[in-house]
Amino acid sequence: MTPWVHIPQLLAAGITIGAIYALVALGFVTIVRASQIINFAQGEFVMLGGVVTFFFIKGAGLPFPLAALMAVTAVVIIGFLLHLLVIYPLRKASVLILIMATVGASMVLSNTSALLFGTLPKALPPFSGEHPLDIGGIPVAPQSLWVIGATFLVFLFLYLLSHRTLLGKAMEASSTDPLGADLAGIARNLMVFFAFGVSAGMGAIAGVLVTPLFYTSYNSGTLLGLKGFIAAVLGGWGKNSGAILGGFVLGVVESVSIAFIPSGYKDGVAFVALLLILYFRPKGILGSPYIDSRRW
Amino acid sequence: MYTAGLWLISLILPDPHLPYRKEFIKKRDFVYLGALLLLPLILSDPLVYLMVLAGIYAILALGLSLFLGYAGQISLGHAAFFGIGTYTTAILTTRYAVPPVGAFWASALAAAVFAYLIGKPILKLKGYFLALATLGFGEIFLVIVKEARNLTGGVSGIFNIPWFSVAGFIFNTYLKQYYLVWGVLIGLVLFAKNLVRSKMGRSLLAVAASEDAASSVGINVAQVKVGVFVLSAAFAGLAGSLFACIMSTANPEGFSLGLSVLIVMMVIMGGMGNLYGPIFAAIFLTWLTDMLGGYQEYSLPIFGVILILLLIFFPDGVGTRLNARLIYLISYWGRKRRRERVDI
Repeated sequence: MTPWVHIPQLLAAGITIGAIYALVALGFVTIVRASQIINFAQGEFVMLGGVVTFFFIKGAGLPFPLAALMAVTAVVIIGFLLHLLVIYPLRKASVLILIMATVGASMVLSNTSALLFGTLPKALPPFSGEHPLDIGGIPVAPQSLWVIGATFLVFLFLYLLSHRTLLGKAMEASSTDPLGADLAGIARNLMVFFAFGVSAGMGAIAGVLVTPLFYTSYNSGTLLGLKGFIAAVLGGWGKNSGAILGGFVLGVVESVSIAFIPSGYKDGVAFVALLLILYFRPKGILGSPYIDSRRW
Repeated sequence: MYTAGLWLISLILPDPHLPYRKEFIKKRDFVYLGALLLLPLILSDPLVYLMVLAGIYAILALGLSLFLGYAGQISLGHAAFFGIGTYTTAILTTRYAVPPVGAFWASALAAAVFAYLIGKPILKLKGYFLALATLGFGEIFLVIVKEARNLTGGVSGIFNIPWFSVAGFIFNTYLKQYYLVWGVLIGLVLFAKNLVRSKMGRSLLAVAASEDAASSVGINVAQVKVGVFVLSAAFAGLAGSLFACIMSTANPEGFSLGLSVLIVMMVIMGGMGNLYGPIFAAIFLTWLTDMLGGYQEYSLPIFGVILILLLIFFPDGVGTRLNARLIYLISYWGRKRRRERVDI
């Protein structure tokens, strides 16, 4: 049996997980487009989205849609709090301090979640049944379609937000030209505040979508966050389209790699891809507005 | 062997050609040294053990201080070099019966070689991207260690690593290990003090201040960055080797991102461009981790909150702020005394 037999199925799985990576990557890009800050706690929003939804369903007995909505709201509030309590006091600090502060925040979030909701991995029921659909001879879980559909809705929302509203324009302006944004009367800190909310919301949606597919436990956020970041770098740092492309590319590459290498090395594939892209093309596939080849 | 020893000694002795020769060893160095020698007398056994661990972390922090504090580069993958050191010693001593001293130097060499291979490409990056790339290296190291079961024993690791021994003298009690670890640390501190006063050390500060300016005065920026990365990795390798001999086991649990973050925290707390600060921070953070460990699952959230508070209130290091105050106080005291002397 050759490894090629499994390729179609792995591709389907890769596109599903790629959609999740794309959502996480968009979370990073949203914050970067507003402030040039990289939030290493992004993965924890994903984890919290899944775990809090689980808590509302099992602990409070709410129906799934209401629980998911409340969980996303709760995580958005956590995102706002993260900005107010950690990022805002450090807005003038150096890159290193900000990295360490968000890493510290990620530590607090994941371990507090372990404390409140337990360390056992959580699984939500799929949105619509477990029976796999047959698409062109490939069995696909209905949840995968939900993931891809919901992801595209989020993409649409984000596109409209960043290209069709004043708020989105103001967010981008405050990152690309801080002084100009100040002169134009944009409250830059408020923009970063909103960006954290949007980014946390997207992370939480990714969490709700991914938990029926994979188990989510208190410590699964870090790795998801890192892979989302890698996806954002891979596609082109600071671009929404780059984040989406990078997410799908990373998901597919990682998933297809299982056919050729022992599955234990799967988590290493993303990081090897990262080192390769940083070495050969730091701008990413689509190029990046923030990285010009001279400086990097 | 004899010449190698002489060469090593020459590295840690003050170089007569360097400036500020008189200040090479100050009064405070003797105070620290005395405190170190006498500390085990007043500490109980668990605390001596804690100080052994703190000494190992201090070696790590000292190495990273050169890279992060002096050269201003970010590494979130230093736990991997620590791990490479630990596994090199573990494999050499248990499989090939290499004496621990040989494994000790081999660990530094192995970490340095890996650092050279990794550092050459990724040190072109800066800021967030360097942080991410080094972090990626750390994760790949963990994956490989867990998967390459034939070499590293997989998740369960390697057991029964012999105690550290030099010429038949076995370091088998906490007290002996205390003097071993802190003895190595003193040697490395002298080496680092020498280094930061040398041309290399000045170049590091210049690179941290501005890479363009540094290259304009003829500093080979890429070479300096790779050099200091290799050096700090070698420090981490030495620490890893000592860690293997003292724990007598090596498993991948200890080399995760958490350790890398802890080491970076030590350097930030100790202050940038400072050699003693990270050592004190290492002692403090080791003690804090141990103390919070008593609170079981509450320990990590509390630790995270303390980190964030430290970053908000002491962004340039507790040591640096306190030092600034102490220098002010001492200089004030000095001025007064001088005036008195004039009166006499």
